[in-house]
Amino acid sequence: MAGVRLEDVTKLYGRKTAVKNVSFACKEGEFFSIIGPTGAGKSTILKMIAGIEDVTSGKIHFNGRVVNDIPPQERNVSMAFESYNLYPHFNVYDNIAFPLRAPRWGLKMSEQEERRSVGEIADFLGIGELLDRLPQHLSGGQKQRVSLARALVRRPEVYLLDEPIAHLDARLKFSTQTLLKEFASKYRSTIIYVTHDYREALALSDRIVVLRSGLIEQEGTPEEVYNTPATDFVGALVGEPPMNLIDGQIVTRDGKTIFEAEGNFAIQIRDDVVESMKGVGGGQESGRTALRLGIRCQHITLGKQKISDSSFQLPVYAIAHEAESSIVSFELKDTFLHVRTREEKGLRDYSLSEMVWLDFDQDHMFFYNKTVDLSKA
Amino acid sequence: MSRVDLDHVWKIYPRGNVIGVKDLTFTCEDKEFLAILGPSGGGKSSTLRMLAGLEEITRGEILFDGKVVNHLGPAERNIALAFESYALYQRLSVYENIAFPLRAKGMKDAEVDQKVQSIAELLDLTPVLSKYPSSLAGGHQQRVSLARAFVRKPNVTLLDEPISHMDQRVRAELRARIRRLHNELGLTTVYVTHDQAEAISLCDRLAILHEAELQQIGTVEEIWNQPSNRFVAHFVGEPAMNFIGGQIETPQSVSVLTSEGRRVLKFMGEVNQKYVGSDIAVGIRPQQIKVSKTEKEEASIPGSVKVIEFQGEMTVLTMKLGDGVNSEVKAVLPTTEKYNTNETVWLHFDPDVIHLFHEEISILQRKGK
Repeated sequence: MAGVRLEDVTKLYGRKTAVKNVSFACKEGEFFSIIGPTGAGKSTILKMIAGIEDVTSGKIHFNGRVVNDIPPQERNVSMAFESYNLYPHFNVYDNIAFPLRAPRWGLKMSEQEERRSVGEIADFLGIGELLDRLPQHLSGGQKQRVSLARALVRRPEVYLLDEPIAHLDARLKFSTQTLLKEFASKYRSTIIYVTHDYREALALSDRIVVLRSGLIEQEGTPEEVYNTPATDFVGALVGEPPMNLIDGQIVTRDGKTIFEAEGNFAIQIRDDVVESMKGVGGGQESGRTALRLGIRCQHITLGKQKISDSSFQLPVYAIAHEAESSIVSFELKDTFLHVRTREEKGLRDYSLSEMVWLDFDQDHMFFYNKTVDLSKA
Repeated sequence: MSRVDLDHVWKIYPRGNVIGVKDLTFTCEDKEFLAILGPSGGGKSSTLRMLAGLEEITRGEILFDGKVVNHLGPAERNIALAFESYALYQRLSVYENIAFPLRAKGMKDAEVDQKVQSIAELLDLTPVLSKYPSSLAGGHQQRVSLARAFVRKPNVTLLDEPISHMDQRVRAELRARIRRLHNELGLTTVYVTHDQAEAISLCDRLAILHEAELQQIGTVEEIWNQPSNRFVAHFVGEPAMNFIGGQIETPQSVSVLTSEGRRVLKFMGEVNQKYVGSDIAVGIRPQQIKVSKTEKEEASIPGSVKVIEFQGEMTVLTMKLGDGVNSEVKAVLPTTEKYNTNETVWLHFDPDVIHLFHEEISILQRKGK
């Protein structure tokens, strides 16, 4: 297994910049994810690591050795693509066995060894019954697992997986995700994983980079990315429902610092939290500092009575259930505010249009510059 | 405005004699929000199409407010439909799209205007009434499609996966909007989906369809706490309910095999005496398992941590109980406690969260039921 390091890597397609000055280091044995929306440059980075795409500028290192000029077949990586790329005239067994037979890796496996390797990974991924079938007789989900099995059957220096479980139905996706994590820890594999689904990245990774329009927006552990999003973009990308983002402004009244938004929305900010707002605020709007408040739905408390000095009231817009909790939504001028409540009878506690007290946990409140458009959908 | 009854409804497709829906009987009460939930091929779409009048009913009756509607076409049933695809008229403005069903009924301009303005207000569409659908984002277009469905006070609203392909922010918003509209307009709504989280989030009751048959109908709490069979128990909830092999010891206790021998678990309620000695499946939801780092009591079950998956607000732990193939158990836990792979932990099942299944059917009688 190898560590992979990107140093100031840029990729241009003509005059269009797909990836810009990206640097990160995936350590040996690490599960490293790249997340971001479609078109952020995730797959381009993976292809440059594989050697399928040239690097416009910057360096890619495998174990400290620059590999920019090493052709893909000599890089010793295993790759699974979102678009399966199976050999249509080979059955499932031969598709999975293919990398084991490639002379380059000099594995020279006996038929028995090969059978064992293929059988093991196929059983592990739940496709052991399909080995005799041709790809055309498989469902999309089955093809995707064959493609994943082919990538995992060999022990290369690095696994590069591009949305390898995106096309599985919800149930299978979760179970395959668990298997993938089990695989990674069993073989201490170096895995670089691309996905647009933040859940997969949180569950699987040791570390994550969040990519936005070819640039790194944040790098950190799953806990860091979820608990302390660096920007409003990251907050909006991660979480279900995503982080609440409320546009407003800071005003000072009677020596108190207050965050105000339209529609009777006002929170008195605790003195120590005021410190954290310094340096944030995208310029002045009519003489006041305009900024965006971010808070996750579980860090707001609801009550029939006033909860603290900084709590305030809003009318309930709608209530949705979850298995063991509920989401109470409030309508603001530019957006909706969603609050997760775990109170036993939360649903029956509140009725539509009722005025409810809200209290924000100021230890989990963030202030951001506005960098994403959040108009109502 | 309307109550919907299905009375022994069958759908048999003549080609190949395929049974689409088998002897379906249930009621959607007036002003109720009912989900028809199930995997694809379970009979959801056939049911929806028969309700809408798009498909003939082979046998049985569908009634709106006690009147049989079998022979009525889609237009005569006064139903509103919204699908996953918005099906908006691209050449008409948002205003005209919403006005379309009203104009089709020959309504006068003044009345049309009043109705369009009022539904647009409710769905925050007033600023975009003069725009064309193609200039709007997906979530926005779906709102226009909902406005068009709701504008003419339908008897029944039928929604077919209207938000399943949206991103999580838009989904959260549209869920809230749909639930709000349902209550505010006093609608009777039937919502068809394969997504159990979606169904739970919006609906008062769920009707679960699988292999052309109704498996169970009930409130979210009933389905969650008293699934009638193993299919329902497994289908609703994410991660899915765990099943562990066990044997009924007495009408109030069951034993399971662990790496440290058999452990006897007590459960709330009781099973019929005839099951004593039978092999059954013990079902337990990942959200209802307690996990501790020390052995708390005799009934605790030892497990070895295999996989730890961080999910933001919680962590999903996959544990191995013994050497058996089907002895993996998942638990959903708060992120505050940290675990390590291969660490030994102790699982505890409270008596009121245990489910018991014998040959797929729930055999546990809870008190008062």
